[in-house]
Amino acid sequence: MPSKGKGGRRLLARHPLARFLLRRTATAVLLAFGVTLVTFILTNLVPGDPAAAALGQRAVGDPAIVAQFRHHYGLDKPLPLQYVTYLGNLFQGDLGESQQSHQSVLTDLSTAVPATLELAGAAIVVSLVVGVAFGVVAALRRDRFTDQLLRVVSLLGVSVPTFWLALLAFYVFFYRLGIAPGSGRIAPDLTAPPHVTGLYTVDAALAGQWQVFWSAAGHLVLPALVLTAYTVGLLTRFTRSAVLEVLGQDYVRAARAKGLPGRTVLFQYVLRAALVPVITVAGLAFGALLSGTVLVESIFAWPGLGAYAYRSATTLDLPAVMGVGLVVGIVYLTVNLAVDVLYGVIDPRVRVQ
Amino acid sequence: MSRSRTGSYPAAVSLVTLAALALSACSGGTSAPGSAGGKTLVVDTSFNLKTADPGREFEPTGSIVDKALYETLLTFKGGDVTKPLPGLASSYEESPDSKVLTLHLRAGAKFSDGSAVTADDVVFSLTRVIGLKGNPSFLLDGVTVAKKDASTVTLTSEKANPALPNILPNPALGILNAKAVRAQGGTATAADAAEKYLNKSSAGSGPYTLTSFNANTQVVLAKNPKYNGAQKPTYDKIVLRNVQAPTQKLNVQRGDSQIALDLNSDQTAGIAGGLKVLSGPSSDVIFLLLNLDPGVSDATADAKFREAVRKGIDYKSLLTLGGSGSVQPGGVIPSTFVGALPPGQAPARDLAGAKAALAASKIKNPSVKLSYASDLTLDGLSFQSMAERVQAQLKEVGVKVTLAPAPTTTELDNYRNGKEQVGLWYWGPDYPDPSDYLAFLPGGLVGLRAGSKAGADPALTALGEQAATTTDAAGRQKLYEEIQTDLNDDGAFIPLMQPSRHIVAASSVTGLAYNPVWTIDVAELGAK
Repeated sequence: MPSKGKGGRRLLARHPLARFLLRRTATAVLLAFGVTLVTFILTNLVPGDPAAAALGQRAVGDPAIVAQFRHHYGLDKPLPLQYVTYLGNLFQGDLGESQQSHQSVLTDLSTAVPATLELAGAAIVVSLVVGVAFGVVAALRRDRFTDQLLRVVSLLGVSVPTFWLALLAFYVFFYRLGIAPGSGRIAPDLTAPPHVTGLYTVDAALAGQWQVFWSAAGHLVLPALVLTAYTVGLLTRFTRSAVLEVLGQDYVRAARAKGLPGRTVLFQYVLRAALVPVITVAGLAFGALLSGTVLVESIFAWPGLGAYAYRSATTLDLPAVMGVGLVVGIVYLTVNLAVDVLYGVIDPRVRVQ
Repeated sequence: MSRSRTGSYPAAVSLVTLAALALSACSGGTSAPGSAGGKTLVVDTSFNLKTADPGREFEPTGSIVDKALYETLLTFKGGDVTKPLPGLASSYEESPDSKVLTLHLRAGAKFSDGSAVTADDVVFSLTRVIGLKGNPSFLLDGVTVAKKDASTVTLTSEKANPALPNILPNPALGILNAKAVRAQGGTATAADAAEKYLNKSSAGSGPYTLTSFNANTQVVLAKNPKYNGAQKPTYDKIVLRNVQAPTQKLNVQRGDSQIALDLNSDQTAGIAGGLKVLSGPSSDVIFLLLNLDPGVSDATADAKFREAVRKGIDYKSLLTLGGSGSVQPGGVIPSTFVGALPPGQAPARDLAGAKAALAASKIKNPSVKLSYASDLTLDGLSFQSMAERVQAQLKEVGVKVTLAPAPTTTELDNYRNGKEQVGLWYWGPDYPDPSDYLAFLPGGLVGLRAGSKAGADPALTALGEQAATTTDAAGRQKLYEEIQTDLNDDGAFIPLMQPSRHIVAASSVTGLAYNPVWTIDVAELGAK
């Protein structure tokens, strides 16, 4: 590697982790372009006319209005030119204008994405804590009653359809028992907190609006718990088998034999090694959560990315569909990158040298 | 930590879960805002909403919103759309030839910023609707708007336009504060840039103002303190939420919302306990289209074949799909409108007649493709199940029907380009006047979709032109009845049903009425 720059840059370029990150980020950017190309081609392959979908039954009969619509959204230009224009705008942070809401897609996404991230984030945190705990306990209690019970629970969690569970949970906890709040992100008589991060709980806390905070947190509980069912099941099973595998390793036996406290063995040796496969699964589970939220968002009237994606697709709102594709692509790429970096943090054996 | 210590993990987990549930229990207490005395009304509906800008709005949810934010020159009261009443205009006169409508503005009307509503605001707002070339522009096709004096405006139409007083109550024709909208880039051309502003704040003289607007999630309205119309609104705050039908039902039953707009007959059947259900036929007419173009289908282009289909359909059986409250219209004009054909004149099933007509046609082994939008449900009625029933009924006649479902966005193209042999669609009225249904005549918007070209039936076309310009009520009624009788005889359309429409509301909500133009007027609602 040539090192002609200043000391700092040389160091940055030479540090293996920095080099790894740079290379991976460059790859991710390339992949993101791939995502835009694929979504662009796919959305334009769909039979159907966006103008017909967006315009009313009378307006669509007026050629002047249809022509104006096509011109406004650049649909009158050849496809390659449309793509180049899209990319050019993308570089300036412009994702285009939604043909349905007449708003910039970025504005639409800036409310939809945080809503989903808040939900999926809460779900993945709970899933990691609960799933790993369940997995470790099941492994340590191998073949005893607790293990059997947790195995049944995790199997149920993985196999129950999320939308059914969402309907059931909403029915039981909201309708029958009345202990969970209703649809949406906050109670209808409250006003959303000032937009900072878009995460209602965080924004409300920042603004010191505690009533809004508790309402937002309360509304988060049920949909997030529903989403955790699948990921908890998945993580329990993977953690259990990973921990069992590590427990059988010689170095763990050696550590035990030399009289290290059980806590040290568990945390320093067993969990550390077992977490590598668990993190891979957690990354995948996060992706699954993003797609799983579509139905959960619909049942809980959660105004997130899933609801937005569904509406955009069914109304042939091409700029919005491409925006959603890009966001989901970037989330997946980021999660993959984070997982790879975490490997090194947790397990020195796979650390970039 | 000893191994046994790890046994407390499940305990910790259940603690977290318990805490979470306790948390949700705390915030559960905020439900039932309407009854809590805060005077907030929560309305759940499945959103069909793009914008709050009246000049561009033409969707059901948008009409609810704009009806509350903007006053129109004329309006309707409750569900009666047969008689236009004073709105911003306290009175109006039509010229004898129905080409010039003169409207006198109500004195003292004020926008939410306190400024007076003037004739200039009316001219700006209506010219803007025309100039924007948006979905509602056609409402004022061929109309010129002019100011006569400070409180009088004239609407001049190219041709006689007796429907205009029935068109003016449309919320898309709401009157904007011209000064405020111009300051935000508002013009009467395609260059207009005021939509962003009108999606953040309102500039009207209506009973409510816009607090927040999100086309995907919810719209919040607050009472306009400057509103000085006849009926003061009851609720301080209105929250319209985008909620799917099954969740709407649970919400309204639980008291989390006070009104649910999209429940179907099955969902409203078991509703009781402090709730009321308002049911009636919707103004949407579901119809079959039989293409007259032999290039599309030889069979449907044959008049005898069309007669066989018309007599072969079991309309009563189809009504059972629509649920209680659905009706069979006499013709294409819905039963609740001026010009509707009496129910007794609607086509009825005559199986023997159908078979005879089929035998008399030149079509051997008739087979047609029935196209429809498989993902379309109207007032909870699925087009898939309707299509299946039509297929079974026509099989009894001896007509083979192949179902050709496709997503709405795809099928709309085929329909609008006139490529369907047999199509199953509906027509929701643009405005409550029979002239809206002239679109079904040869050369009209819907007529063309059925291969009914301009000039195909000169007698019918002449009837249509006469109906469009006739001004006396009895004469109009008679002409529209004649047109529908003609269409029912051998036209391209077979009206099937107006499905039932239900609104579920808490018993505390009073003054509820279904209006085909804006669904509900939230400002008309009271509380007890």
